[in-house]
Amino acid sequence: MTAIVLDQVDEMKRRLHIVATSAAGAVAAGGVAVPFLGSWFPSARALAAGGPVEIDVAKIEPGQQITVEWRGKPVWILRRTPEMLAQLEKNDGMLADPRSTSAKQPDYVKGAARSIKPELFVAVGVCTHLGCTPTLKKEIGAASDMGTDWPGGYYCPCHNSRFDLSARVFKGAPAPTNLEIPPHRYLSDARIVVGEDQKG
Amino acid sequence: MAVMNKPPVTGAGPLNGVLTWFDQRFPLMVLWKSQLTEYYAPKNFNVWYFFGSLALLVLVIQIVSGIFLTMNYKPSAEHAFASVEYIMRDVPGGWIIRYIHSTGASAFFIVVYLHMARGLMYGSYRKPRELTWIFGVLIYLCLMAEAFFGYLLPWGQMSFWGAQVIINLFATIPIIGEDLSVWIRGDYNISDATLNRFFAMHVIAIPLALLGLVAAHLMALHETGSNNPDGIEIYENLDPKTGTPVDGIPFHPYYSVKDLVGVAVFLIVFSAVVFFSPEVGGYFLEYNNFIPADPLTTPEHIAPVWYFTPFYAMLRAVPSFFNMQVWGVIVMGAAVMIFFALPWLDRGRVKSIRYRGPIYKAFFAALIVSFLVLGYLGVEPTTVWGEFPKGLPHGRRGLHRDLGGSRAHHGLFRFLPAHALVHRGRQGKTGAAEAHVMMKKLILILLVVPGLALAAGGGAKLDKAPANLHDRLSLQRGAQIFVNHCLNCHAASMMRYSKLGDLGLNDGQIRENLMFAADKVGDPMTTTLETKDGKSWFGVMPPDLSLVARSRGADWLYTYMRGFYRDPASRSGWNNVVFPNVGMPHVLWEYQGEQVMQPGDKAGAKFAVGEPGKLSPAEYDKYVGDLVNYLVYMGEPARAKRVQIGIVVLFFLAVFFVITVLLKKEYWKDVR
Repeated sequence: MTAIVLDQVDEMKRRLHIVATSAAGAVAAGGVAVPFLGSWFPSARALAAGGPVEIDVAKIEPGQQITVEWRGKPVWILRRTPEMLAQLEKNDGMLADPRSTSAKQPDYVKGAARSIKPELFVAVGVCTHLGCTPTLKKEIGAASDMGTDWPGGYYCPCHNSRFDLSARVFKGAPAPTNLEIPPHRYLSDARIVVGEDQKG
Repeated sequence: MAVMNKPPVTGAGPLNGVLTWFDQRFPLMVLWKSQLTEYYAPKNFNVWYFFGSLALLVLVIQIVSGIFLTMNYKPSAEHAFASVEYIMRDVPGGWIIRYIHSTGASAFFIVVYLHMARGLMYGSYRKPRELTWIFGVLIYLCLMAEAFFGYLLPWGQMSFWGAQVIINLFATIPIIGEDLSVWIRGDYNISDATLNRFFAMHVIAIPLALLGLVAAHLMALHETGSNNPDGIEIYENLDPKTGTPVDGIPFHPYYSVKDLVGVAVFLIVFSAVVFFSPEVGGYFLEYNNFIPADPLTTPEHIAPVWYFTPFYAMLRAVPSFFNMQVWGVIVMGAAVMIFFALPWLDRGRVKSIRYRGPIYKAFFAALIVSFLVLGYLGVEPTTVWGEFPKGLPHGRRGLHRDLGGSRAHHGLFRFLPAHALVHRGRQGKTGAAEAHVMMKKLILILLVVPGLALAAGGGAKLDKAPANLHDRLSLQRGAQIFVNHCLNCHAASMMRYSKLGDLGLNDGQIRENLMFAADKVGDPMTTTLETKDGKSWFGVMPPDLSLVARSRGADWLYTYMRGFYRDPASRSGWNNVVFPNVGMPHVLWEYQGEQVMQPGDKAGAKFAVGEPGKLSPAEYDKYVGDLVNYLVYMGEPARAKRVQIGIVVLFFLAVFFVITVLLKKEYWKDVR
């Protein structure tokens, strides 16, 4: 006579109990997973460090570019000359996406200049191909070392992606889209904030 | 074995095919059957038999939460303390993970102590389970090492000074002691090097050993099968037809579903601690450990965490002989090591306490009582018993009591063999009723001891702070008082301004009303006061106040801020009833006015009011109440959320408990 007597086993009932327990166990596991997996999101410190950056743009000479850090990435601020701006309008034929329809950019930057004020260009200096940072080749033609038909722009040394001075990618480059324009706004003529716009 | 000749797996529905594939390449079904479905356990396990599987659960909890803590913890003397607070405040969900780990440490010892008590009671260490027991004692040693190494990591005052005391134990060993302690520290004092190596021991070396030992413990157990409350071997009574033990039932599903009920109850208690009282009155998280380690200042009263206090009491109880201090260490070590010898010390014919005689029971009770009393003494200052009967010299009295407890602890083992011989052969007589009485007594002791601890508490009388974390207006006023009056000299560098959003403020309001020094709302509350200036102005740099409410307590702060009085003899012209010779002047004196100590009065007695302040006494109490309320909030910004989540978790676990009870009942219908 063993201790187990299987004379009142109702298989359906047992299955029901197992399903209920498993379901509760799954809920418990899911609940426990929330804080553990959630802890991989940026901490309050990372969020604070990735907050908006204020920049004094008054001292940037025409044709000069400064680089500031925002969320650990380079952000370019280039004051474009009237000649540079004029050239932008002529580039359309060479560009993969001249209207920037597939680019990551706020909707208040429009047109060929891709900026709030045409002369002041703000962009995230990270190539949309594999994340290198392109270099500025602002001279037009042979002086740039980029060939005689170079209209001025950015060149990524990693895989030869080329962009114009609105960071729009040229046809045939490995980069899939134009460079990203970060959210930004003007506090005054002399100061801008990167990482925050009117909405936020 | 001809692999492909194995029969296909059945009974797993759509998974049969996959499992068959695995089974032909891996001893899947052999293991499943031999370790679970055809592993027979006695059918008469009582509540004491839950603690083995619970220990395994806590091990998993500690490993998982520990892995996640290492992702943000920095094992360096400079950053360790701040990185723990970073986890508590800045990492999303970090406080839950940390409280799980800190509660798990204590839970581990509770569960393991109960598990060991079970082994002692029912003679589970006896032949043929000697190796299971020895692996178990090794696990216990590993656990103590793990807890010791881990306790240094938060790098608070108790971490530092606890480790200091324990490492200095090794220095008491004659001849090599001094060099040995330097070798353990890697420095002349506990330092960055010590912390770093303790981290390595805690997160990888000891856990690996622990996992190996747990595997060995379980393998040895499954070789012999489990003991049970009657101490009778179930494999000695086999069913002639099936060849299985008559009083045995398959571990799976019967004990797997029963253990689930234990898991549910354990999780309810565990979650209640994590979400409602993670400090457990300073026993799980010591208040002084919310102060960063300071090699130059020992806290007034240091005690190890509760699970080490019985051993600590033994250590303190033994005086030095022959100019050597090592004896206390030897007594303490022997108290642990004697567990290894237990299977051979006990020569009784019966295993279970149910069939043992009254002398055995008396000594077993003495062991439990001395363990608890020693544990209690280890928590208290050495003078605690000395103050009990007035007139006896302090300290000496405490010493004798300590020693008495320690003797009883050893007494059990000393008398065990002889006693066991006397009471041979009572097996068969039922003793279940006696065991129940024993258990009731044990529970009674467990209830009485904390009561004693509470009764012994005291010291300066503190006023009750009117802290209420749900009163947002009070918290906002408190924040304003804090940034205006405290932040000039004290930093709160663990606290970010942006956190004040918890109090119902938006970034704009925080920036305009509460920020004077920092640039960004996300910045921590730092102070512009230089350490050098702080030292020359106040004699000491004003401490960081992020955690002051956790180390001092709300009532202390409330009494302190209202307890300043004029004292021309002090450096600042002020003194304080709860903080004698305080370096800080009374910064809020304009509001409170001056209090003057009456001649002949003792501290805490009434003051005469000197020059009145801007606020009436009642208004000032409310003013300080708001400030203290804010300090309590700042000590643990997640607190309100913690309680909210806790309610949901406990509600869920209550449902889970009911589900597991029903599941267990359904399966246990089969058991006769």
